[in-house]
Amino acid sequence: MEGELYVRLGYTMDALYRSITRHLAYSLGVVPTQASKRDIYLALSYSVRDRLLEKMLKTNQRYEDSGAKRLYYLSMEFLIGRSLANNLRAMKIYDQVAEALELLGTDVETICDQERDAALGNGGLGRLAACFLDSMASLDMPGFGYGLHYDYGLFEQDISNGYQREKPDSWISEAPALQVERADAACIVPMYGRIEETKDKWGRHNPLWLGWNLVTGVPYDIPIAGYGGLTVNRLRLFAARPSTEFDIKIFNEGDYLRAVEQKIESEKISKILYPKDSYEAGRELRLIQEYFLVACSLNDIVRTYEKDYSDYNKFPEKVAIQLNDTHPALAVAELMRILVDQKWVPWERAWDITNRTIAYTNHTLLPEALEKWPESLLARLLPRHLQFIYDINQQFLDRVVTLWPGDVDRMRNMSIVEEGPPRQVRMANLAIVGAHSVNGVSALHTDLIKKSLAPNFFEMWPERFNNKTNGITPRRWLCVANPNLHDLIEDAIGPGFVTDLERLRELEPFAEDPVFCEKFLQVKHGNKERLKDVIFNTTVVEVDPASLFDVQVKRIHEYKRQLMNVLGIIWEYLALTEDGVEPANPKTFIFAGKAAPGYWAAKQLIKLIHNVGNTIEDDPKARDFLKVAFAPNFRVTLAEQIIPAADISQQISTAGFEASGTGNMKFALNGALTIGTMDGANIEISQKVGRENIYICGLTAYEIEKMKRAGSYKPKAMYDKHPMIKRVVDSLASDRFCPRESGLFAWLKDYLLADNEMFFHLADLESYVKTRELSTKEYVDKTLWAKKAILNVARVGHFSSDRTIRQYADEIWDLVPIPPTEAEKSGKLKYTPSDPSSIATARAW
Amino acid sequence: MRIHSKQEQDVMILTPMEKNIDASIQDEFKAALVEAIDEGHKKIILDLSHVKFLDSSGLGVMVAMVKKLSGSGALAFCGIQEQVGQVFSLTRLDRVFNIYPNKNVALDALVAKGPATEGAV
Repeated sequence: MEGELYVRLGYTMDALYRSITRHLAYSLGVVPTQASKRDIYLALSYSVRDRLLEKMLKTNQRYEDSGAKRLYYLSMEFLIGRSLANNLRAMKIYDQVAEALELLGTDVETICDQERDAALGNGGLGRLAACFLDSMASLDMPGFGYGLHYDYGLFEQDISNGYQREKPDSWISEAPALQVERADAACIVPMYGRIEETKDKWGRHNPLWLGWNLVTGVPYDIPIAGYGGLTVNRLRLFAARPSTEFDIKIFNEGDYLRAVEQKIESEKISKILYPKDSYEAGRELRLIQEYFLVACSLNDIVRTYEKDYSDYNKFPEKVAIQLNDTHPALAVAELMRILVDQKWVPWERAWDITNRTIAYTNHTLLPEALEKWPESLLARLLPRHLQFIYDINQQFLDRVVTLWPGDVDRMRNMSIVEEGPPRQVRMANLAIVGAHSVNGVSALHTDLIKKSLAPNFFEMWPERFNNKTNGITPRRWLCVANPNLHDLIEDAIGPGFVTDLERLRELEPFAEDPVFCEKFLQVKHGNKERLKDVIFNTTVVEVDPASLFDVQVKRIHEYKRQLMNVLGIIWEYLALTEDGVEPANPKTFIFAGKAAPGYWAAKQLIKLIHNVGNTIEDDPKARDFLKVAFAPNFRVTLAEQIIPAADISQQISTAGFEASGTGNMKFALNGALTIGTMDGANIEISQKVGRENIYICGLTAYEIEKMKRAGSYKPKAMYDKHPMIKRVVDSLASDRFCPRESGLFAWLKDYLLADNEMFFHLADLESYVKTRELSTKEYVDKTLWAKKAILNVARVGHFSSDRTIRQYADEIWDLVPIPPTEAEKSGKLKYTPSDPSSIATARAW
Repeated sequence: MRIHSKQEQDVMILTPMEKNIDASIQDEFKAALVEAIDEGHKKIILDLSHVKFLDSSGLGVMVAMVKKLSGSGALAFCGIQEQVGQVFSLTRLDRVFNIYPNKNVALDALVAKGPATEGAV
């Protein structure tokens, strides 16, 4: 003990048992024999957090000692889901904890099941950010997340009579067991106010930003354990707090409620995660959230840098900032403002630093998702930033004029400020101009960015554009979600593949091994049995694990075409009941996903899925062949239960709309075969797994684009020409699926037959249905199916987020791993009071 | 609001003893500074070493006082704590105000020179 700053924590079963019981007594005030499952869960979480913090401090010391460059990942969303089981596996203490919990009369699965999801994200973008954090830590890279500490994550979805109902999701009760509040690192964030154009004491132009309000950003750190548990990075989430607890003047005047209101006003900034597609509802607050994230993060980044450097010359060599979509694009203006206004760096030099530091990931081509903010709103909220945006734009357009004199259309198209009315600031343009790297998230998406979204920018800076195909962490999506498949693979090819996923290739010969194939199918069946219980417990629908599990789980959106899936189900249902055509194998269609609360069409789709399911269930001719289940409240944990049980993975977005998709990768890694369009990363998955091991259907992005340009998509003609399509569409217009709510789905006929139907449902429907039929036929041949599924697993190693992060690190960030020292590996590294810098490091973290 | 005042040579040193200078004490703060100026003090040092938090209303008082003294006197600042320094820099008032690392340096500067040379606010 002598000389130690703290006692090193043990990792044996005994040590963990002692920690858990100590936390039961001293953190929760509970006698172990009377502890509830929830108590034990919390005590275990605290015990794990202690160990994570110990490793986090050591990791930071290692980074400090090395003087390493750091990467900061700015994202409005981090969809981390549950942490406990993931941390136990990452730290390799799962078995010890399991034993310790047995002594307490319970089991590890039951206790891990007590944890609520941290749903601080909507879907793919937020989950990607969480996977990236896992990979950076697992690769020993100094990479840190910055986000918002929302009180309420994405809403909880309830289903009532087939309709989605939203309930608040207060994950905050869960948070203390995960995080550490860092009030010592709080910062102030100014907003609103006015600019007064004055001169400084040397007579130079000096715009003053006056009359702002201050909000305090309080950081909370969530440790992120890399696989092996030696490198632990952090996710820092900022909560908004009033800059003073109450306005005492108002309080003293006796107006207590007004004083409290002011406090609430500040705190509402980080109160709620906006559901995607609902930003309009709280437009100003959403912009404030984005700015708050950017301001808090950059304050922290600059402060960390200044601990080691007195000027900003080395900033781009020591700091990399990645913008996860346009949401944090204000970072360009904020970093400029900090450097120019607060650090007195000359404008040109500051621009060079900003540009070399910031990189931008584009996540969407959907015009409505490319943020634009009214100039008037920015002028009111961030008057000084708007000045920087104008200056950046002016410098940029001067360059455009030089390169393309007289090309007014080009200038108008590229300008950061869009002429109105109303005049708006284009955040994607700001990000592209301000960043040294612009990347898409799949090969197709990057190609479309170059050709369709930003061709003028690509022409100007071709070297700036690059692709980083998304990836997923195998720790979460194989080790935690599908431990039996992980164990089966490990038995076959040995350990180590979890951090070197390309090694899954070694599995290929086993696709011909009948014994392995049998075991593989048994694992799948076990997962389907498990999912059967989950579905029954949440929907009361009884599904048969012997049926083909055909799964589409993702956010409900027109472009993702859950509607086309339903049209396919109706097609099969009508073929069965009216033509007597039975599917080759009984099928269970499983859906899950949330619709944005204000997105009427998406919510109608949820209702349609339920009604079609009920109609089939009520029909004795159909119910033994087809079944539809909608699992409510889709979230990371539910995904972990559904994906390992899927036989078919539906990835059928209209080609050209899905930037990448990552669900497609998770399913393939878990041995599901994809039915997909040539969209997003489906294309690369098909190249990797082989066209014979994936079911591709529908038009390509370029075919669709061509048809759109020519105006040649005529869905009404298809309807008139094709009797099956007509029958399916007409069934929606009838009350067949809504006998008690007449006319409920009639709008869908008009929707599908309109020439301007953006998502080409009917154009792809026949190809899609035929592909489904083929997949069902092949499913019957278990040997063939197992072979294809195993080859999917064996060939998707490329889609590990470790690969993606290595590419970002090598090609954009110039970031290198800082692996644990021998002392860390041996567990002998200690902080000592005789080394004050180590204490300072610990405090500054 | 408590403000400690002390005259050294022809310089009045005002030291607010409050941690926060915000809307709740804005009026008193302004009155204290106006009183010092109206009493004929042309060289004033505002020692902010006790102030941990400054909001825009407190800052507004300082700006008004710099304006009031402009051309006829000097207002200098010292004892700047972290948050106050951030507020000065984010507004760019650090390019306008005469800011000194401590009271003695501020005093030497004001004694040595004549009337103020602040920028126009």
